[in-house]
Amino acid sequence: MFYVSIFFQYASQYMKTRLTYRSDLVVELFSDILFQAVNLIFILVVFGHTTLLSGWSREEIIFIYGFFLVPYAIFSSFFNIWDFNERYIVKGEMDRVLTRPIHSLFQIIIERMELESMFGVITGVAIMFYAGSQLGLTVSWYDPFMFILMVAGGALIYAGIFIILASISFWSDSRTDIMPMMYNIGNYGRYPVDIYNQVIRYVLTWILPFAFVGVYPAAFFLGRDEWYFYAFLTPVMGLVFITIAVFAWNEGVKRYRGAGN
Amino acid sequence: MNVIDVHGLRKEFKSYSSRKGLGGAFRDLLTRNYTVLRAVDDIDLQVKQGEMVAYIGENGAGKSTTIKMLTGILTPTAGEVQVNGMDPHRQREAFVRTIGVVFGQRSQLWWDIAVQESFRLLKKVYRLSDEHYDTHMKQVIETLEIEPLLDKPVRKLSLGQRMRCELAAALIHNPPLLFLDEPTIGLDVLVKMKIREFLKEINRKYKTTILLTTHDLSDIEALCDRVVLLDEGRIIYDGGLEALQNNWVEGKQVEFEFQKPVAKEELEQITAEFPVKWRAAEKLRGWKATVEGDDDTVSKVMSVVMSHHSISDVKLNQVSTEEIIRNIYEEGMHRHG
Amino acid sequence: MYLEMLRIRFLMMLAYRTNYYSGILIYSINIGAYYFLWQAIYGGQESIQGLSVVQMTTYVAIAWMARAFYFNNIDREIAQEIQEGKVAVEMIRPYNYLGMKTMQGLGEGLFRLLFFSAPGMVIVWLAFPISFSAEVSVWGFFFISLIFSFIVNTQINLLTGILTFFLLYNTGLIRAKRVVIDLFSGLLLPISFYPLWAQDIMAFLPFQAISYIPSMIFTEGFTGGEVYSALFQQAVWCLILIVPIQILWVTARRRLIVQGG
Repeated sequence: MFYVSIFFQYASQYMKTRLTYRSDLVVELFSDILFQAVNLIFILVVFGHTTLLSGWSREEIIFIYGFFLVPYAIFSSFFNIWDFNERYIVKGEMDRVLTRPIHSLFQIIIERMELESMFGVITGVAIMFYAGSQLGLTVSWYDPFMFILMVAGGALIYAGIFIILASISFWSDSRTDIMPMMYNIGNYGRYPVDIYNQVIRYVLTWILPFAFVGVYPAAFFLGRDEWYFYAFLTPVMGLVFITIAVFAWNEGVKRYRGAGN
Repeated sequence: MNVIDVHGLRKEFKSYSSRKGLGGAFRDLLTRNYTVLRAVDDIDLQVKQGEMVAYIGENGAGKSTTIKMLTGILTPTAGEVQVNGMDPHRQREAFVRTIGVVFGQRSQLWWDIAVQESFRLLKKVYRLSDEHYDTHMKQVIETLEIEPLLDKPVRKLSLGQRMRCELAAALIHNPPLLFLDEPTIGLDVLVKMKIREFLKEINRKYKTTILLTTHDLSDIEALCDRVVLLDEGRIIYDGGLEALQNNWVEGKQVEFEFQKPVAKEELEQITAEFPVKWRAAEKLRGWKATVEGDDDTVSKVMSVVMSHHSISDVKLNQVSTEEIIRNIYEEGMHRHG
Repeated sequence: MYLEMLRIRFLMMLAYRTNYYSGILIYSINIGAYYFLWQAIYGGQESIQGLSVVQMTTYVAIAWMARAFYFNNIDREIAQEIQEGKVAVEMIRPYNYLGMKTMQGLGEGLFRLLFFSAPGMVIVWLAFPISFSAEVSVWGFFFISLIFSFIVNTQINLLTGILTFFLLYNTGLIRAKRVVIDLFSGLLLPISFYPLWAQDIMAFLPFQAISYIPSMIFTEGFTGGEVYSALFQQAVWCLILIVPIQILWVTARRRLIVQGG
């Protein structure tokens, strides 16, 4: 309860600050939309030269992309920790975080949130509805609940992977350019995994399970029952990854060396 | 009861050394050399409630590392730490509610938002009641005279203004123990005095225990009755400031300004029979003699020097704390034991 | 002096070894995923827009490897230094601030080219069918073109960085720029894949000088006179971009002097 009220305190404060730099906010929203458009353009251009992607149609791929945008938007609103090492470890901001009576990871999440990214939820849902209607999909009573469950699972997987990567900074003094590159890898979960070979499919399913933030859960809504097993695994994977991540984080904090040493 | 109770506290850092040159850097990709550095070496420290303790030492002596272990930021490599009856690192979230921390070089406040908003967030973070906040904070704000700054964003404040706000922020939950890391660094004299006055007052009013590190020895003279001196991770002195002054250097300091340049060896030679230490003074052709002994010895030294060299000026000083500390670092414990 | 900057940055990069190993791995995964994606896109088709599957794979591989060379974060660094007020100090130092930043970028780029791209390319070459040209002249033109692409990309980064002077906060702009470059430079898709009207617009933008031209030269998608005109186009952009940089920089300096940082 306490954490919820703290969250809203920070959120309202965040809005106030954000609205003072309105021009940057506009550019940022614009760049988000641009980013979402780029991937859509990619899909459209590619399908200008082919009709099926190993048995998946253009609308299906677009639908997967639309689904992906939703957990991704939630992730990027709250887990802006790609520059954790630079910002908190090298500059020593972690010292300050650790002198406050709130869990350190939670503090960083609320300090770094970028609520405007939530806009992606709208884009994503809109894209899904567009592609869904093209495909003639219907909405059942349980679909919204499944959707929430799948989205939560996907966002947790994303968060888990990035928290684990951030935790590495506690052990190693190195700067990690891994994070930005990881964003690229996240994109590959948006395509049907059967186009990849065994190794990449395995990686995208079990090691960096980005396929659970795209094709697997979307397959459920597309009625592709050969993937149902993986689709239902999405929330489970989310829980597993976030648990590992929080554990890694807590262990990491014990090894924090402080700045300037 | 001791507010701070520390036994055998130790912190080691592994540091990687890189090999020289391009070839070396390439070899570093495969294997790396590292050395273990002991930043804090088996420290024992007890602080009672209401004490104001200065924790001093040169850069890299281990001050910050100790403070960071006492505040729960760093995990000790070995040793027992009890602060406010808790283990700072293991019970971190409960523990930090009982302390206030100010890092002089790092802001605790939110950069973009008004000071007041920062306070309001902190009030939530520390789960303070409205009554507590209204009565306690009102006083703090008044004494620190930051009322007019409250609606300004932190980035627009001057260093002195910001520092006063930082102090207020650290005291928002009225902690019984306050850690100050270089609280007066870079501040002008007036602000320094204001801050010292304030610290004295909260110490008197709430019996707040204060542990501070500083490079400014006038802070210590103004505030602390106890000094803990750290060197290479070990405590080399723990006691009163006066005792430090009395025991470590008796006697006086004489500053000569000669008419002609004089070599140190010459001066040492002519005063060889007295307990004197020579050091170059800031002035041209100036030399300082630290004389350990009674007034009689001092006057003898003066007459010997003046009979050998013609001088243009001479001054008799009390040895400053700064001088004492410098002496201690240069000579180490063994000489004065 | 500038060479020294370059060397230091080079050594700095080398010091971060976690970064190094993970970097190679992630680049390989990236290229691998794209390889399979393109395989699926080609399906059974022999060639699309005059590029065969093998050429396309080579295109993707070289585009990513070249990116390792020209890519840098100096826009973000400049923005940060401006916000923290460090630029004022840098300005009184006896060197050209922008020149120094460029050198830092070059140091990083050279490092990645030698220690990332070269070994990475070998790995990729072992794993996927990639065709290297046997002609020395192709390699020569490719490297010339690569230097131009570094210059153009760095110039755009400098521009974005300097704009911080006028915007105060510009994370949005930096992000938007990155997205635009990924899409319009030809990193994700060869420019020739786009519909004709889009190609016409892009011809007026500097972005294809960054990735499309060197990659096309390498895959021998450009032949004969096309190579020369492409190189010429890059050179022209290098010169044109100097103008806005100088104007903005001079204006920014003047503002800095007036406001005292």
